[in-house]
Amino acid sequence: MVNATKGVFISCDIPMAQYIINMNASLPASDKFIIHILDNTHMFVQPHVEQMIRSRIAKFREDNTYVKPN
Amino acid sequence: MPEVRIIAKNFMDMVASMPAMKLDKLYENGFICEAILRSLLPLAKKYVIQMLHIDVSVAAKLLEEWVLPGGVSKHRVAIDRLVQLRVFLEAVDRKNEKTYKVNPTFQRSLQKLLVQGGTLPRESMPSNITVRLPTLENLEAYALEQWECFLLQLISPSQVEKPLNISSSLMKVFQRRILSYRDKEAPKLTESGFQFLLMDTNAQLWYIIREYISNSEDRGVDAADLISFMLELSFHDIGEAYSVDTLTSFQRTIINDLADLGLVKIQQGRKGSWFIPTKLATNLSMSLADSSSRKQGFVVVETNFRVYAYSTSKLHCEILRLFSRVEYQLPNLIVGAITKESLYSAFENGITAEQIITFLQQNAHPRVAERIPSVPENVTEQIRLWEADLNRVEMTDAYYYDEFPSRDVFEGACDCAREWNGLLWEDSKKMHMVVKTEVHQYVRDYLRRQK
Repeated sequence: MVNATKGVFISCDIPMAQYIINMNASLPASDKFIIHILDNTHMFVQPHVEQMIRSRIAKFREDNTYVKPN
Repeated sequence: MPEVRIIAKNFMDMVASMPAMKLDKLYENGFICEAILRSLLPLAKKYVIQMLHIDVSVAAKLLEEWVLPGGVSKHRVAIDRLVQLRVFLEAVDRKNEKTYKVNPTFQRSLQKLLVQGGTLPRESMPSNITVRLPTLENLEAYALEQWECFLLQLISPSQVEKPLNISSSLMKVFQRRILSYRDKEAPKLTESGFQFLLMDTNAQLWYIIREYISNSEDRGVDAADLISFMLELSFHDIGEAYSVDTLTSFQRTIINDLADLGLVKIQQGRKGSWFIPTKLATNLSMSLADSSSRKQGFVVVETNFRVYAYSTSKLHCEILRLFSRVEYQLPNLIVGAITKESLYSAFENGITAEQIITFLQQNAHPRVAERIPSVPENVTEQIRLWEADLNRVEMTDAYYYDEFPSRDVFEGACDCAREWNGLLWEDSKKMHMVVKTEVHQYVRDYLRRQK
C-alpha cells in the first residue's frame, strides 16, 4: 500500500541545511520536526513548522548584525 | 461595443470603456469631441475629418481603398480605436457587408464646434478684478509643490505639516493598493506603492485621477459628468482666472479636490473667488506617451554605499528612508547610507532589489548620470546579494510518498506528477518521491486506478 505523508519540502544551500538539522537536534524529542533528510540540500519536515523555521533563521541573521544608534 | 474589456492606460481608454448611452451623452459636449479627436492616431484623425460631413454609412471596403497596401495594420488599429470610442458606429448593410457611420451626436457636436467655433462655459475673469495673479513660473512651482505635498500625505501621513482637505475616506481609496495595513502597525509601502513612486509625475497623476473617477459612483457621482468636467477643464488656459460662481455645487466639490492635488489654484478676492488651472490640469487630455519629460536626477551613490541626495524635498527624504539609513537632513542635501539592515526593512515590505536599483539609476544626479555605470557596480551587486540572502530557504507544501509496491507503479506515479509539474524530488533506488500539495489529488487518483 502506497504511503503519503503531508508536510513541507525544504530546498536550500548546504550550510543552511546544516543549520536547520542542528536546530532540529537541539530541540527535545517531542518538538523535533524533521521527518526525512533527503540529501545535502533537501529535507521534508512537519507541516506546521514553516513559520517557526523562518523566524529562527531571521533571528539568527539579526543576531549577527549591528545597527548604529541614531 | 468591443468585447474586450479595456484596461485604462489613459483618459481615452477610460472613455472607451464606458457604456454606449453614457458615451453618447458625453459627445453632446463639443470640447469632449475635440479632446477625443486630439487623442487619436494621425490616421484615425484623418478618417474622422474626412467623414465629418458624410451622413450615410460608408462601406468598410471603401475605407480600405484609402490606404496603401503597406498600411493595412495601421488602418485596422485606427478603425478599431474609432469603434471602441463609438466615434464610428459599425453596421451591416443589405448586401451583408460591414459599414461604418460617424456617431450622429459626435458628428453634430464636432461640426458645430469647427464651423461655428465654441466658447467655454466660462470665460476668464477681467484682470481688474483678479489683481496679482501668480506668474506661470510661480503657478508651476505651486502645482508641483502641492502635488508633492499630496504624495507625502499619501505615503507618509505622519510627516505632513499641514494636512490637505481631501477626506480621509477618499485618501484611503488612493492608498488601498499603495499601502498595506497590519494590525497595530504603521502602514507600510507595498511593492505597488514603490512602483507608483518610480513613475513620472504624469503617470502618477493619471493613476490618482483614475482611482478618483473609478470611485466616483460610490460617492453618488456620475463618472460621465466627472470625466466631462475634467476634460473641459483641460481646455481652460493655464494661468487664467475663472470664477467659482460659474460652477455647480458638484463641480465646486471637484475643484476643491483638484486644488489639493495641484491641478488648480483657488484664490479669494473681495467679490468672490476664482480658480486658476495649472499645467497638471491641461495634461489630463494628453496621452501618457506624449509626455516623456523626466525630472532631473538628484542622487549620487558612492562605492562606499554612501548616498547623497541634492534635494530640498521632504518626499525624496521619505523615499530614501524606505531603503537607506538617512543620517543627515540638511536644507538642500540628504546624506544617508545603504546598509544591509535598511535594505532588509525594504525587502520585508515587498520592495525588490531591482526596484531600488532602478530608482537610483533613474534619479542619478546629472554629474554622475553619464558615468557607466551611474550607480557603482559593487553597490548594485551587493543589493542583489542581500536580497538573495533572504531567499536562501525555499519551502513548499508537499506530500512524501513511499512504500510503492512495484517499480512500474513508482515510475507511473513520477510521470503523473511530472505531467502536472508537481514533482519536487525523487529517489529511484528507494522508490520515494515528494510532490506538491496541489498535485497530490491527481497522483492519488492515478494510484487508485492502478489497483
